[in-house]
Amino acid sequence: MSKFISWIDRRLPVSNFVRNHLSQYYAPKNFNFFYFFGALAIFVFILQIVTGIFLTINYKPDADQAFASVEYIMRDVEWGWLIRYMHSTGASFFFIIIYLHMFRAMLYGSYKNPRELLWIFGMLIFVLLMAEAFMGYLLPWGQMSYWGAQVIISLFGAIPFIGESLALWIRGDYVISDATLNRFFAFHVIALPLLLFALIYLHLAALHTTGSNNPDGIEIKDNKDDSGKPLDGIPFHPYYTVKDIFGLSVFLVIFTFVVFFLPEFGGYFLEKDNFVPADPLKTPEHIVPVWYFTPFYAILRAIPDKFGGVLAMGLAIFVLFLLPWIDRCKVKSFRYRSSTYKLLLASFVISFIGLGVIGMNPATPVLTWVGRFFTLVYFGFFVALYFLSPSEQTSKVPKRVVMHE
Amino acid sequence: MSRIIISIIAFCFVTNIHAAGSNTPLKKVLVDLSNKQSLQRGAQIYMNNCSGCHTLKYQRYVKFTDHLDLDSKTIEKNLIFTTDLNGERTKIGSLILNAVNETHSKEAFGVMPPDLTLTARSRGSDWIYTFLLSFYKDESRPFGANNKLYPNVNMPHVLWYLEGVKEPTDPNLTDFKYVSLGSMSHDEYESSITDLVNFLTYVSEPAQLDRYRIGFWVILFLIIFSALAYLLKVEYWKDVK
Repeated sequence: MSKFISWIDRRLPVSNFVRNHLSQYYAPKNFNFFYFFGALAIFVFILQIVTGIFLTINYKPDADQAFASVEYIMRDVEWGWLIRYMHSTGASFFFIIIYLHMFRAMLYGSYKNPRELLWIFGMLIFVLLMAEAFMGYLLPWGQMSYWGAQVIISLFGAIPFIGESLALWIRGDYVISDATLNRFFAFHVIALPLLLFALIYLHLAALHTTGSNNPDGIEIKDNKDDSGKPLDGIPFHPYYTVKDIFGLSVFLVIFTFVVFFLPEFGGYFLEKDNFVPADPLKTPEHIVPVWYFTPFYAILRAIPDKFGGVLAMGLAIFVLFLLPWIDRCKVKSFRYRSSTYKLLLASFVISFIGLGVIGMNPATPVLTWVGRFFTLVYFGFFVALYFLSPSEQTSKVPKRVVMHE
Repeated sequence: MSRIIISIIAFCFVTNIHAAGSNTPLKKVLVDLSNKQSLQRGAQIYMNNCSGCHTLKYQRYVKFTDHLDLDSKTIEKNLIFTTDLNGERTKIGSLILNAVNETHSKEAFGVMPPDLTLTARSRGSDWIYTFLLSFYKDESRPFGANNKLYPNVNMPHVLWYLEGVKEPTDPNLTDFKYVSLGSMSHDEYESSITDLVNFLTYVSEPAQLDRYRIGFWVILFLIIFSALAYLLKVEYWKDVK
């Protein structure tokens, strides 16, 4: 066995890779619950790729056949329903995981020096993931697939001068049609997954260059023993591999519960209207995006002007890219930051969730005003952070990580 | 026991987030997919009364052998009434189509009667149940019947010979009285409609019968696996201070 490994090692640095990235890759020992989501995101990404491959075997990207082919998968393909539900539930869980993963970065300041690039790659993954989910949602060719895509693409039409031609270019037609379905299929199954794969690679490469942040927001590389190992670090393998196996199995209990017992999740994961085939002549009563887009959709609706709304929605995502430079406080973890910051972060989270709920509901006057208020809070967080963070009253950051049992 | 817990949890989550078009409150129907007799009766009512106009075009007859405890002979003899385009008897492996084409349907009703395979998922079981109990006599409509849940629907009251015919006693459609009786009592009719809705709920997602059964074991396995994974983690982490 060892002869075989050394044969390989002379030709490919496998052992070296395992040492550098697993058995001698040191991670802080004080990771908590929030640190499961990175590994889980990779798991769900692979799950989506694998189930996706099986779905494409029977799916037909053709406006006349797409809807029926999905029902064919649900009924006549052996275990097709399971593959399809894993994929549809996987999409929603991907966003739950990514939102928690991003929230973790905000809690512990993981986007700060020296991890700005890590954060930017992560944000790019998030944006691509939204595009991936949006295009995938068209494929079942149900009413909500069709009209959701119609509404979202028409937003590009609001851009002055080039808008209409741009929307036409994206659709390949004057309305969502077979041409749109075909190109969305191409993007969903080939182009975006490839890009995602590349970005996830860069995200991990950046992570392994700086090393992980931790709930105390201190650099474990600052405290090393005589042999050069971080005092507060433990090898990723076996410690975090066994821990992540436990995290994954708990996640799978929840995930499979939804897959087997609540795949529609009361209309949030699979919308009722999407069990009606797309009909270009009949608009559904309420067109709502899937839940993971609703916070941004609510920001769009909060602005009375269509182009203004599109700008605000774009800005709501773009501003997150700038977070490493907006937050100018040197202390990373919220544990040692001021109560003003904690209050700001809490109101940001409340406004984000609030916007999500508002985006799911029809726009009544009251909800629109609440949506405007939350939109202000959302952007207010970044403005306040920019001005308050340099002179923030922080408490003393410990030299070494603190273990909480 | 597991089934009860699951039903309770499912009941908490599965609420209609998209309100139905009309303001008529929906009557609750008790769907029980494990009741094979009810599913069989529902299939019988469907094939005798609905399949003339409404297709179940994503579902195949042969699936009933798996899920409704019916053998192929019974299905061919009692549930298949149509012929294919060549005039030959529809095969058991076919999708459930009907014999009426779109031109004739449009001539008769003005619209093509919708396919019902997924109606229980798009509108919900309660909606179908309420719809089928909401027909009343209205001479102003072409077929002499109207529907309280779906006003001016282009569908005749097909099951009138079972239910009888009721007429509103006030213009707000709050109360009705029967002007002619059907072959069933009111309770019998409601229970037949329950069977029919049960059948349509099954047809909307045949996998439901499998996923509840399999899901229970998958989750049980994963819970035990999680416990072992936890013990393994604790064992490894003993020396991390």
